[in-house]
Amino acid sequence: MKRSVFIAAALGFAVAPAFAQSEFGSKELIEAAEKEGALTYYTANFAEVEQEVIKEFNKRFPKIKVAMVRAPGGQLITRIKTEAAAGKLAADVINHSDRGLMLELNDMFQDYTPPNAADYRPDALVSPKLWPGVTLGWAIAYNTQLVKNAPKTWKDLTKAEYKGKQIGHVIGPSGGTTWTRVMFERQVLGEDYWKQQAALGIALYPSGAPLSDALVRGEVSIAPLLYNIIYTKIVEGAPAEAIFAPEGVPIIPYADGIPKTSKNPNAAKLFMNWRLSKEGQAYQIAKLGNITSMKEPPAFPKGWDPKVIKVWVPEFGPFEKLREPWLDEWNKTYGYRQ
Amino acid sequence: MTATSAAALPQTGQITAAPRRLGAPLWVAFLLIVLAFLVIYPLLMLLFGALSDSNPVIDGFGKFRPSLDHFVKVLFNENVHLAFFNALVACGGGTVLAVTIGLAFSWIVVRTNTPFKGFIAGASMIPLFVPPLVAGVAWGILGSPKTGLLNTVFKWIGIDWRVDFYSMAGLIIVFGIYYAPYVYMFTASALRNMDPSLEEASEVSGASAFTTIFTITFPLIAPAILAGSLLSFVVMLGIYGVPAALGAPANINVLTTYIFRLTAWSPPLYNTAAAVAILLMIVTAILVWAQQRILAGKSFATVAGKAFRPRALDLGPWRWFTFGLASLYLAIVVILPTLALVIAAFRKFLFIKDFDALFDMRQYSWVHFNAVFDNPLTMKSIWNTLEVGAITAICGGALAFAIGYTVNRTRVSGRTSIDLLATLPVAIPGLVVGVAYLWAWIGLPGGLYGTIWILALAFVARFMPDTVKALSTSFLQIHKELEEAAWICGRGLLGTIRTIVLPLARPGVVASMTLLFVLAIRELGSSLFLYTSDTTVMAVLLLDYYEGGNTGKTAAFSLVQTVILAVLLGLTNWLSRGAAQSSARVG
Repeated sequence: MKRSVFIAAALGFAVAPAFAQSEFGSKELIEAAEKEGALTYYTANFAEVEQEVIKEFNKRFPKIKVAMVRAPGGQLITRIKTEAAAGKLAADVINHSDRGLMLELNDMFQDYTPPNAADYRPDALVSPKLWPGVTLGWAIAYNTQLVKNAPKTWKDLTKAEYKGKQIGHVIGPSGGTTWTRVMFERQVLGEDYWKQQAALGIALYPSGAPLSDALVRGEVSIAPLLYNIIYTKIVEGAPAEAIFAPEGVPIIPYADGIPKTSKNPNAAKLFMNWRLSKEGQAYQIAKLGNITSMKEPPAFPKGWDPKVIKVWVPEFGPFEKLREPWLDEWNKTYGYRQ
Repeated sequence: MTATSAAALPQTGQITAAPRRLGAPLWVAFLLIVLAFLVIYPLLMLLFGALSDSNPVIDGFGKFRPSLDHFVKVLFNENVHLAFFNALVACGGGTVLAVTIGLAFSWIVVRTNTPFKGFIAGASMIPLFVPPLVAGVAWGILGSPKTGLLNTVFKWIGIDWRVDFYSMAGLIIVFGIYYAPYVYMFTASALRNMDPSLEEASEVSGASAFTTIFTITFPLIAPAILAGSLLSFVVMLGIYGVPAALGAPANINVLTTYIFRLTAWSPPLYNTAAAVAILLMIVTAILVWAQQRILAGKSFATVAGKAFRPRALDLGPWRWFTFGLASLYLAIVVILPTLALVIAAFRKFLFIKDFDALFDMRQYSWVHFNAVFDNPLTMKSIWNTLEVGAITAICGGALAFAIGYTVNRTRVSGRTSIDLLATLPVAIPGLVVGVAYLWAWIGLPGGLYGTIWILALAFVARFMPDTVKALSTSFLQIHKELEEAAWICGRGLLGTIRTIVLPLARPGVVASMTLLFVLAIRELGSSLFLYTSDTTVMAVLLLDYYEGGNTGKTAAFSLVQTVILAVLLGLTNWLSRGAAQSSARVG
């Protein structure tokens, strides 16, 4: 499918003029939200990306102004905890990638269920109060100018032809999203996978963003990356491409919720409802390169064949329990000094 | 003023004590209260964090669980040892280079007849405006072993040699060239204010120009050299952006990158980070103590009650050699990285296959600038940054003047404590100090949290050591006899400060306020915890572009930031020149 056709199809929800407002909430909720007229959104996602989400939301609900506070994951959690303890939490909606940390704050959040709750995979939820407004997935990206024989599977990334720091990796302990990939590699691709790959000589990067930049510049030729990080660059014409491997796509469902202290609870609910709706999810898939945690995705990223590609969601228990010992082993295998 | 007339004056101590007797204890108490609020209170929070495993705001002081675990973990972790060693090598090497460059530069600009000095002086300060993260990114673009622009050029002209800035040598060079302006600022103002008669005496006695420089000139401005090198060393210790961009690809960790990892951990390990910060503070305290011990008991007063003009050494044809040296430095430190940033900002993507690809004009556009200005946060962040920079410069400048004067020009008891307290924040890395301010000030009544003022307060506290040290150099150079003359003529303390000290120290005051303004505009660590949606600043937005992997937008936004700073600094430079001229008239 051509990209333009694909995007138009994915955004079909947005352009359908008579689409029922009830998908996003009752008439009363929308009226109350518009009366509040504003909300404050705390996010650990990239500000630029979330600006686009807000813009799209405002096309549907122009009367609600969304103010955003963005900080990297760990710093955002510290800030939320401290503000809450001082009784000064300004957030109406909080969006965070680390489900474990958000679960620790579960009592801080009010009860909330989106109208389309039944559409979501139960394994993507860690609490009935927290919902995956954003879901990201891992792809294999490569520089089209440098790689003649592109990898097609995760296993290909252990081939000798890619030795000598051609492959770049985000360090295992960089955060929850990378830990998801590391866990997937060990559980699904086998106990020897890391060893075989590390033997090739791997260039290590502290996070996904500098790695995606290094890939486009040609510092490395191949890199496992979160699809959304490389997707916008590909759309803009960068010399890069990304594939989803048949062994599985590790996904990271975020945990988003509405604090009990929200001053604009109706606007917050409407914003959450819209982001979790088919329209909100389809927009994020088509425009931002996200995946979704919906059982029946409203759209698929380019190159995603639902008959072949399966998503892989980490079990929450082992996700927390195995983290430290496995990351220690990963560090040793890849020669990363913690 | 001659020795005879000085001897005719009453004892200095008697004179200086007289106008201060009434208000001195009150004044010292006032300064100590201000410093307690700005420094001790947040530091206690930090110590509380380092010595416990609880958060003072969330858990409350009542639930203090004392624990030395964090210190033990830090002290016995061999990766911390390695990071510490790397930091010392990188910052030590960087300081040596910064002192060499800064000193040579200030001598060329102030004391020689090298052509285009004004232009060289202005341009040499540019590295100071560049956020460390941007400097790291720019040198990554230039000096990467695989795709660096320098290596592309070498390949094109057939040179086999390749540079690799993803290395310890790369870190040292970038630290050295970017922090040379710190040394330059201190030493240039000291050289400018130095009485040339001492050098003339040396030359009359038969010493060569070279001997004079090393036996008279540089020893006389020793406090400025030491202050500049100490400050640049300690500032380098706290820099995250350069080692993050250049050290990470080579797996070279320093303390700041280690601390950043601790704070970005899930869950963030602030208590351990606080323990590392305390260790850093101890190292800095030792350095400050060593500096004071070296300088103790020596007089460096070179600005006396006699009119003079700094003498420019006639280098003859050698002036073109010094001009060539200065130009080479400027090319390396200003033109090359700026060119890299311009290429990154205007090029759609930074994939440059060979030298010819660099001139493929189809690859260039305004797309990154358009994207930056399409973002509604951009204009808001620029305005907020200017506002917070101005408040910080004015309030911080005034406070630093008050502290600097009290510490350097009076003998009131308590001034040593004031000096110590004003120096402490230099040792705390921005990310950790950010959380200390958040812990300390969020609970204050009066709605300070969430305003521009809380950011400005944090910056004033964080950069007080830089400002006070920069000002102290100016104070050290003004001879007491000038104030004494004013008191004899019946001026009170405030009158003396207004008519004598302030005009003479004005170049230093303007330089310190400018420095404060620049530092406030670049500051990221403490902004990250204290900004809200209405008070976003440029540094936070820049980090967001960088973290988003947008080298193009990062470069475009940093060029915008550089242009704004250059315009504002041009203005202050113009003001400072006016001030220098009027102070020359006073002298």
